[in-house]
Amino acid sequence: GEAQNRTQESEPSAGGWGGGRLRGAPPARRGGNSAALSRSELVPSAKGDKEKDRGFRDGSLVPFDELFERAHEGDRNKAAFNRAVEFFCQRDIRRRGHVEFINAALRKMPEFGVERDLDVYNKILDVFPKEVFVARNFIQRMFNHYPRQQECGIHVLEQMENYGIMPNKQTKFLLLQIFGDRSHPIRKYQRLMYWFPKFKHINPYPVPAALPRDPVDLARISLQRIAADLSAEVTVYQMPLTDISDAGKEITQPHIVGIQSPDQQELLARHNPARPVFVEGPFPLWLKKTCVYYYVLRGDPLPPEEKEEVIDSERNFYYPMHLDLDLDRDLWDDEEFYVDEVAEGPIFAMCMAGAGDQATLAKWILGLQQTNPILSQTPVVFHLTPGPRELQAASDSESGEEEIPQSWHMKQEL
Amino acid sequence: MSGLSLLLRAARAAFPAGARQLRTGGFRSAYAKELFLGKMWKEEVFPYPEISNEELEEINQFVGPVEKFFSEEVDSKKIDQDAKIPPETLKGLKNLGLFGMQIPEEYGGLGLSNTMYARLGEIISLDGSVAVTLAAHQAIGLKGILIAGTDEQKAKYLPKLASGEHIAAFCLTEPGSGSDAASIQTRATMSEDGKSFLLNGSKIWISNGGLADVFTVFARTEIVDNDGAKKDKITALIVERAFGGVTNGKPEDKLGIRGSNTCEVHFENTKVPVENVIGEVGGGFKVAMNILNSGRFSMGSASAGMIKKLIEMTAEYACTRKQFNKKLSDFGLIQEKFTLMAVKAYVMESMAYLTAGMMDRPGVPDCSVEAAMVKVFSSEGAWICVSEALQVLGGLGYMKDYPYERYLRDSRILLIFEGTNEILRMYIALTGMQYAGKILTGKIKEMKKGNVGVALEIFVNKFRDSMGRKVDLGLVGKDGVAHPSLEESSKKLEENIYYFGTTVEGLLRRFGKTIVDEQLVLKRVADVSVNLYAMTAAISRASRSISIGLRNHDHEVLLTNIFCTEAYFKNNYAMAELEKYAAENLDDSIKKVAQQVLEKRAYICSHPLERTF
Repeated sequence: GEAQNRTQESEPSAGGWGGGRLRGAPPARRGGNSAALSRSELVPSAKGDKEKDRGFRDGSLVPFDELFERAHEGDRNKAAFNRAVEFFCQRDIRRRGHVEFINAALRKMPEFGVERDLDVYNKILDVFPKEVFVARNFIQRMFNHYPRQQECGIHVLEQMENYGIMPNKQTKFLLLQIFGDRSHPIRKYQRLMYWFPKFKHINPYPVPAALPRDPVDLARISLQRIAADLSAEVTVYQMPLTDISDAGKEITQPHIVGIQSPDQQELLARHNPARPVFVEGPFPLWLKKTCVYYYVLRGDPLPPEEKEEVIDSERNFYYPMHLDLDLDRDLWDDEEFYVDEVAEGPIFAMCMAGAGDQATLAKWILGLQQTNPILSQTPVVFHLTPGPRELQAASDSESGEEEIPQSWHMKQEL
Repeated sequence: MSGLSLLLRAARAAFPAGARQLRTGGFRSAYAKELFLGKMWKEEVFPYPEISNEELEEINQFVGPVEKFFSEEVDSKKIDQDAKIPPETLKGLKNLGLFGMQIPEEYGGLGLSNTMYARLGEIISLDGSVAVTLAAHQAIGLKGILIAGTDEQKAKYLPKLASGEHIAAFCLTEPGSGSDAASIQTRATMSEDGKSFLLNGSKIWISNGGLADVFTVFARTEIVDNDGAKKDKITALIVERAFGGVTNGKPEDKLGIRGSNTCEVHFENTKVPVENVIGEVGGGFKVAMNILNSGRFSMGSASAGMIKKLIEMTAEYACTRKQFNKKLSDFGLIQEKFTLMAVKAYVMESMAYLTAGMMDRPGVPDCSVEAAMVKVFSSEGAWICVSEALQVLGGLGYMKDYPYERYLRDSRILLIFEGTNEILRMYIALTGMQYAGKILTGKIKEMKKGNVGVALEIFVNKFRDSMGRKVDLGLVGKDGVAHPSLEESSKKLEENIYYFGTTVEGLLRRFGKTIVDEQLVLKRVADVSVNLYAMTAAISRASRSISIGLRNHDHEVLLTNIFCTEAYFKNNYAMAELEKYAAENLDDSIKKVAQQVLEKRAYICSHPLERTF
């Protein structure tokens, strides 16, 4: 494997470069004018296809757009995009106007849905003529050799960077062939390769690349994400269902997915049933571009007399749990920061539902009663806000939240 | 077999225990706790405790037949394979009186002192299953009746327990409760007439659970406080299987000590008369603690007995097997293992009999810290030694045809039961800290308040320490108690003890009562104190051996010096770490790694073959 890699690596530099140099005009002969000469090659000539070159002469910035328009007969997809690129390459061996073409291609990529496709980026880079822009001496290297082309190359890499596409070996070989070692695009490539791997796993809480389509699965991963407790158990209280009733009316049954950890169960078991618990929501949760909403079951902050848990001196059979000493911790070993803690009530459970109305959420509470018997003796107050409806219309239609409770403070005792 | 028993009982009668009970005085033993103050209570540990010639002769009378029984009639391999001690073996043990070793003679037991009990423990430990069965019966099972029972309870239960007609079990652990008294669910409800309790609940991992007829059960009872509030407290009860409603699960399949019977025990509406409460209603917590604290010291001699046997067996192999025309015993790396085993066996033996001797002193000496130290040291030593012995034998040790793997499996439980070593380390360190803290609080407070006198005194002491002061606690030199040939080791011990005192004081100043949460610190404190006690025991015993000219006492000096030198360096390292802050002694990093691993509940590093580009 390693040997193979190495030959692959060395091939372009030996064959491609050397060969290219032989094929092209000898650099010595060109001397100091080489830049001027090669630049003149790129000036659009009137001899070309009049139709196609009109854009250049008009000075239009988007002369190649129609190339893409023409390329897609059916769908705008990778194949169509590739066809356009290939068409450009075959049309003119000198690849005149390649900078403009590449800029247009970069712009068009999202349209064709190929903006995250590394192959396509490599194909675009391949449009550049090889060898021509490689600096041949230190003076050229010192000054900005073929600035437009180099900038265009950087532009390609920047777009890759923006979409988080990591260049591969082929990208490197292309850049080396086109711009040569120590050129600006190669530097850009090196910087990308320095930072990208470092940032690849920087997010300790990664969201899966493709979110599940099924609202129940989506709710499951979202809830697990918020709960941040591996012991927490997800329960599907109701599966989504669409059915036609006998009367011909369509009945939709929204999904209800809840999560509760053993710690939360314990907290709820210790909750004083005389005090109500609250169902609150919806609260937004963003997963990349998708927004979902969740509801919480919470209690009021504990009164101070219930907060203090006194450790019984007869608690541990084996060793003392606290020492009977009148000495406190010294300043130097006190590594706790001062944290201004805001008193918050306990959260007993969370859920996501296909509908945010009280009837649906009441079903969740009923389901919770199976595992938390105390809930049947505790008054449950619904504090539901119509909040996200406006947001909903403006942002994303993907999330499963359509129905939002009509009233602000609906109260119901279960 | 009954003839043998008669012989034993006759022997017992011929040597009344009068001498043992005649000692007077009643001082509290606190050698281990004093170490935390940097002080050495020499009188406690020097000279090494002795027993009288009569007692020695008496115990030797016991040792012979028991040894014979274990070598001839206990088939450890079969017990391990069948996971059951055959009834004939149990009968033999009963006939030898081994079910009532510490029960007073008036109740039909052998009435052995702690020292003699430790001596028999050495032999009994040759079979782990038998040792655990016997220990569960008398070290914890019936101990409650013995130390806290009323005369009526003793008269009613002890004779049958002593003869082995009834077997006892200790029922504390529950599915949700190991050391946490608050999570005990078994409940004893007082009947309306107030004459009995109704017991309901389940206990797990009960040694002898399937064999026992008498259980010491700890259950929750509702009691009314002085101020009229109702509160749940733990009560200890004697429960007979005959009371009804007692069932047990099938024996658990275990790694080691497979022959001992361990199972679940369920109580369903078992009616227990109030007379069967041990201590008072609601006083079960203290009873449980006392039972647990008193049962541990014997593990030292038991482990030592096992290692001594292992040394014999592996030495035989090492001296006969040849490789490259050289005997195994000629290789340095093999020799090193034998030295290690000898040192460990010597030290744990010394600790065990020193502690037993201290416990046999008149009064009610509280040697629970020392006993915990013995347990920690000997259980870990046993595990290392068995492992090394297995290593000497190479592949052969791994085979089921030989007993070594069984020793390895059996000895693993030592680190776990009767309080895991982690828990006992907390006990040792916290008890010592509490003791030292009580005495030092005033001084530390003065210093913190900025009392110039106290601060100056501490500074001068520190300065003198840093100038290399010679610590002298009077162990050697004029009026010294240790033998001069152990001067080096004694000096090391003195130095360690002195600096341990300053370290403890520093820790109290730094952490105060919040030290309970500093388990990594406490662990080091416990390790140092265990080493100090072990060094003391070895020096004391070796001094005595030289002085009275025991055979091979020069060997003892070697062992003592090896152990003390090694322990000295370990202690210095631990104490140097204790003086640092958490960021420097790795504690912070250790906690952080654990936190990250536990957050994900997995090993979180990427695979070494993983790549990002």
